[in-house]
Amino acid sequence: MSISMHSAPLQGSAPSGAAASAVYFDGSSNRRHPVTLVFKDRLELDEVAEPTIAWSYHDIRRADGPPGVLRLRSVVAPALARLEIRDAAVASELISRCARLDEQAPGRHGVGAIIGWSLAAAVSIVAVVLFGVPLAADRLTPLVPQALERRLGDAADLQVKAFFGDKICSGAAGQQAFGKLVERLRETAGLDNSVQASVLATPVANAFALPGGRIYLFSGLLAKAENPDEIAGVLAHELGHLKHRDSVRELIHNGGSSFLIGLLFGDITGSGAAIFASRSLVTASYSREAEQDADSFAIDVMHRLGRSPKGMGELLFRITGKEGDRSLSILAGHPLTEDRLARMRAEDRPPSGPPLLTDGEWLALKTACASR
Amino acid sequence: MNQMSSVPQYPPPLPPVAASFSGDRGEFRRLVTHGALLELITVGFYRFWLATDIRRHLWSHTAVNGDACEYTGRGKELLMGFLFALAILVPIYLAYFLVGLEAERFKAFASFPLFVFFYVFGQFAIYRARRYRLTRTVWCGVRFWMEGSGWAYAARAALWAILMPLTFGLILPWREAALERYKMRHSYYGDLQGRFEASGWELFKRGWWLWVVAVGPPVVAGIVLPPLARNASQIMGAVTLLMMVLAPFIYAAFKAVEWRWWMSGIRFGEVRFESTLPRGALVSLYWKVVGWLLLIVAVFVGYLMLCAALIARVSEASMAQVFASGHLQGSIPMLVLAGIGYLAFILLFNAVMRVYLMRDVWARLVGSTQVHGLGALATVSVRGELASAVGEGLADGLDVVGF
Repeated sequence: MSISMHSAPLQGSAPSGAAASAVYFDGSSNRRHPVTLVFKDRLELDEVAEPTIAWSYHDIRRADGPPGVLRLRSVVAPALARLEIRDAAVASELISRCARLDEQAPGRHGVGAIIGWSLAAAVSIVAVVLFGVPLAADRLTPLVPQALERRLGDAADLQVKAFFGDKICSGAAGQQAFGKLVERLRETAGLDNSVQASVLATPVANAFALPGGRIYLFSGLLAKAENPDEIAGVLAHELGHLKHRDSVRELIHNGGSSFLIGLLFGDITGSGAAIFASRSLVTASYSREAEQDADSFAIDVMHRLGRSPKGMGELLFRITGKEGDRSLSILAGHPLTEDRLARMRAEDRPPSGPPLLTDGEWLALKTACASR
Repeated sequence: MNQMSSVPQYPPPLPPVAASFSGDRGEFRRLVTHGALLELITVGFYRFWLATDIRRHLWSHTAVNGDACEYTGRGKELLMGFLFALAILVPIYLAYFLVGLEAERFKAFASFPLFVFFYVFGQFAIYRARRYRLTRTVWCGVRFWMEGSGWAYAARAALWAILMPLTFGLILPWREAALERYKMRHSYYGDLQGRFEASGWELFKRGWWLWVVAVGPPVVAGIVLPPLARNASQIMGAVTLLMMVLAPFIYAAFKAVEWRWWMSGIRFGEVRFESTLPRGALVSLYWKVVGWLLLIVAVFVGYLMLCAALIARVSEASMAQVFASGHLQGSIPMLVLAGIGYLAFILLFNAVMRVYLMRDVWARLVGSTQVHGLGALATVSVRGELASAVGEGLADGLDVVGF
């Protein structure tokens, strides 16, 4: 195979012999076509006993090739047709004729554009997480049917009982006192009678509301309480969650924001921790806001009952102690207990309403679980 | 074409030809470090283009009989595939949530088996991702392609997966062989059908001792010894330490055995691949990754100390105070600096893994490979459809790896 050079500049220095071989793959089979390149007004690929193929120089583009091989394609030829040139002199001659060789070359994917669009996408994702998702959660929550919320509650209820056992404290006098307390709070809070509250016998000091209206008070919390107002405040706080439908709101918010944050960083090994951290920050901040609102609600309900909200803060502080030493406020799902205590102390007013429970009822409630 | 038919129909058997990898290591290192930096700047979106560039590099430097492959996929295709996959996954996640809710109402934690669905879906994604990569692989002007059903593959993968825990993982070789048979049976080079001829038994014969070494000491120390020996907990500690040292050896040997077995099982028509990769060929690579990891961790820790010292100087607190629990509250700058350091840490580590575990493993595997019966490739015609990148997007979205 020899290469005939019809172009003036290379006439004298035309490489001779087999060194100047070019191979053409026709794009429909793997047959190697040994071709002779002829530089005319178009590039002609001559093969013995085959019709000559001609590529216009401005159609020729570079394809990925190994070192030392110039691999070319033509935008009008079959997609996989390739011309491979190993001779450096021929290659450089051809390169000088193909003005658009490196247009749409693989690897020349405007890095600037990718960075720009990525940053735009990242900014929009962050903006949606910070502003759009909370707004969507607020707007969508009223649209979620009560029936679905109750189903959520049923599912959560089974999990709670699987974790903490299903020992409902059923001492009759205690039940009655608890019922009376919850009833007064519920009426004052303006909630309908779908609220079901019960005391669960477990040493954990906690209370929570499940979607759909269930409230659990753990006997561990009852044991630490010193007067009915403390428990009433906690229950009013949980009623606040129910009133605001916080479970559904947090579900929508956390689901949406986790998904969006998960879009960032993709499959980079080790990015899981970064994603987890940002997710925790966002969900904790949202949860803190919900807790703050539930506290406001509880303060308001206690005031309307003519009782002081201070007891609730004191009960919480008795349980957790000062939190600032141990935890980071930006990662906590609640406001710090000392801050809640300070707020509720500030809202302290001398009692103007009757006690919520008589001494006898309070004693009965305190011993509701012991009597089993 | 008439000329071709005068060539003897059955050419004399040609000697095997070597596959070769000619990529420059420095060039690849620059590619992945540069890419890692861009991944950081673009909060990960550059990964589509980086993956494409890595494949273009590996493919175009891999040659059989002097002819190099070409990767024709593009980053934009991967991005589109990812976006399509999102559109598919969002309704699935919602449906998963609602179905899970009903299951939980029935019994606490009854929704757990639903995760099986995602496993099956992940296997589907793996199949489709491989199909995308294969249809973007060109050698001598002819494309590879793949047919077959991703769901049929996923069902097989899931059924085999059930057997894995039941046999303490010993079924692994047969599982891999069966799955690879399915994949290769549906793979083509032009009109030449592929198949996979290595058997599970062969892989078992080569690798069973690795299973014994990996499973044996922990089982002996954790289950057999405690009732017999008094200082069982010390023995357990020693065994844990021993296993940590052994792990890179065991895993590297397993990967070498597995790669060699896989490569030697591949057939396209009469074309036969054979690898002679030695068992120990990858050990040094895994140890280098471990070494780099330790080094990067040390640098990271040093960086954290430096940040703490700087903050201590600025805020006029002592080092102990900065690290004392009470001061965490006020150390938001420390957290921000640690976050930045962590990102740099994972990017460096990703670059290290790509150089050693991707490029170097591939280079050693290809370098150990011979191809027999290339004469059968006289005329292969282009056939088959290009596959979309949605499968690869799904694999990305579901965080599954495999090929």
